[in-house]
Amino acid sequence: MSSLTLDKVRKAYGPVEVLKEINLAIEDGEFLVLVGPSGCGKSTLLNLIAGLESSSGGEIRIGDRVINDVHPKDRNIAMVFQSYALYPNMTVRKNITFGLEIRRVSAEERDKAVASVAKLLQIEPLLDRKPAQLSGGQRQRVAMGRALVRNPDIFLFDEPLSNLDAKLRVDMRTEIKKLHQRLGATIVYVTHDQIEAMTLASRIAVMKDGILQQFDTPQRIYEHPNNMFVAGFIGSPSMNFIHAKLISDNGRLAISIERGSNPIVLPLKDAPESYNAYVGKDVVFGIRPEGLTHKRTGSEEPGSQYVNFDSKVEVIEPTGADTMTVIEIGGKEIVARVRPDRAPHPGETMTFSADMSQISLFDPVTELRI
Amino acid sequence: MADLQQYSHGAGWKNAVLRGLLYLVLILFALYYLFPLFVMVSTSLKSLTEIREGSLISLPRVITFDAWTYAWNDACVGVTCSGIKVYFWNSVKMAIPAVLISTFLGAINGYALTKFRFKGANVVFALLLFGCFIPFQVVLLPMSQVLGKLGLASSTPGLVMVHVVYGLCFTTLFFRNYYVSIPDELVKAATIDGAGFFTIFWRIILPISTPIIVVSVIWQFTQIWNDFLFGASFSSGDNAPMTVALNNIVNTTTGVKAYNVDMATALLTGLPTLLVYVLAGKYFVRGLTAGSVKG
Repeated sequence: MSSLTLDKVRKAYGPVEVLKEINLAIEDGEFLVLVGPSGCGKSTLLNLIAGLESSSGGEIRIGDRVINDVHPKDRNIAMVFQSYALYPNMTVRKNITFGLEIRRVSAEERDKAVASVAKLLQIEPLLDRKPAQLSGGQRQRVAMGRALVRNPDIFLFDEPLSNLDAKLRVDMRTEIKKLHQRLGATIVYVTHDQIEAMTLASRIAVMKDGILQQFDTPQRIYEHPNNMFVAGFIGSPSMNFIHAKLISDNGRLAISIERGSNPIVLPLKDAPESYNAYVGKDVVFGIRPEGLTHKRTGSEEPGSQYVNFDSKVEVIEPTGADTMTVIEIGGKEIVARVRPDRAPHPGETMTFSADMSQISLFDPVTELRI
Repeated sequence: MADLQQYSHGAGWKNAVLRGLLYLVLILFALYYLFPLFVMVSTSLKSLTEIREGSLISLPRVITFDAWTYAWNDACVGVTCSGIKVYFWNSVKMAIPAVLISTFLGAINGYALTKFRFKGANVVFALLLFGCFIPFQVVLLPMSQVLGKLGLASSTPGLVMVHVVYGLCFTTLFFRNYYVSIPDELVKAATIDGAGFFTIFWRIILPISTPIIVVSVIWQFTQIWNDFLFGASFSSGDNAPMTVALNNIVNTTTGVKAYNVDMATALLTGLPTLLVYVLAGKYFVRGLTAGSVKG
């Protein structure tokens, strides 16, 4: 178990820079999730940590040891791959012990190690089968067993759940989390699924186009996204972005959204200093679907965090727990999350409450958080 | 389903006629291709007198294996009359090492070209591919010079080398194309497990290569066993492979032309490749289907 530090790590293929000065540091026992759309460089970054590719610049440290020029086998890491990469010609037992055998661990110790890992992952009855005779979830476990048995400093997971069906994916997600809690291992986990990132991570690194967009705890990233990309990428359904103006309404800052003859004016609550520079200018108003609800009780009291406005309902999408209600504001479709018993009918006009304590404002040009 | 039956019922007689025609054509083709084999087998089982008296296509009245034993033990190649058996073993001594070495090298090449991609791997592969299109005749003179300088002229090891060099392009192509479809993650996983280039090759890549090894062995064995030009050019006298000896037996002009012996010798020469197809072909199919278990 060890900490991991990436210091100005770069990777270029000829003139193409796929990773630009990545700085990350996690403590011993943390669960880091690298998340981003495909092609953002997250898998490349993982390969750099694993040593399967060499970096073009910067420093990678495990604990205090610089590992840039250390061979993968000497980095004391273990990796779980998306395709599981089980050796098809070997039994499960052989698959798990292959690494130990190469490292000349005695047969006796190997047997002991397999037994304990198999027990931990509940794959004891599978030990003498070949990978082809296993189901997807079982293969996943074996792949994890192969990583666990080595007792490495850092575990690397490369989209390990992408090949599983939806139900199994959720189960295995929980299992990985349990495993992390039990072992206290340092884990770096790559995924393109923001739900996986949110549920598993102790810290998330959101990446796009080889640039680290934000590196923070899941809750901070959810509530205070650095820019519009992070805001849109994390959360499902994703955050609503509405073009608006920041105005000063009798000395109080408010968001004004154009809508024909009667604009929606939403007074801000506890506006930070940084907003002042944008008074009278265009901004992008970001609010998550759960911040837009049916009319809340107490929303009419003075000083409430809720602001009410009326809007026509276009479409409703029931999900069971909530009913996603699509309304149109300023020519854009906006999703509100409404309790099923308060769900409107399409075409109706309904009063919505906006929770002004959960909003984000972005600069429309730089797309950065204000 | 009901509709389908209706259609087939309506056009029943027409289908039957077409199907009959199809079989007729196929049977004719099969006969056309089998006829030479039939003549060879039946002639090799006749006695010389019967060949002289009977017609080419008649079945043997008395089946005799004299011609076969004579071809194996006593047929004359040039001035020595010890049968084709010596040359059969020459061919075995040439073909087996050449097949094994070229297949093995092709496997290593294919593995390096796909899983340990070095700078210029594509150029190397393109050049190797180019080697597949070089005709035998082009390499004869330079090859004989090289063999002379290496001191391998007119020897079985020399012939083995020629076949290995010439076959390398094909075997590399086979293995390279097979290994392209094996996920790179397998090699990455083994690298992290601590295995090196050759450990990964022996322990992981080679054990899952059975189907393509069989393909390579069939191809190389057929090519090398049936080769005449290299054998005739780079061997002499007692070293000659079976194909060269067959030619010498058939072309011996002294005495009576023993057609039955010629046919038996030709069949004996062709038998090993046929055997390889029959035996390995089964493993070939088995290997292919074993890999296709839902993954």
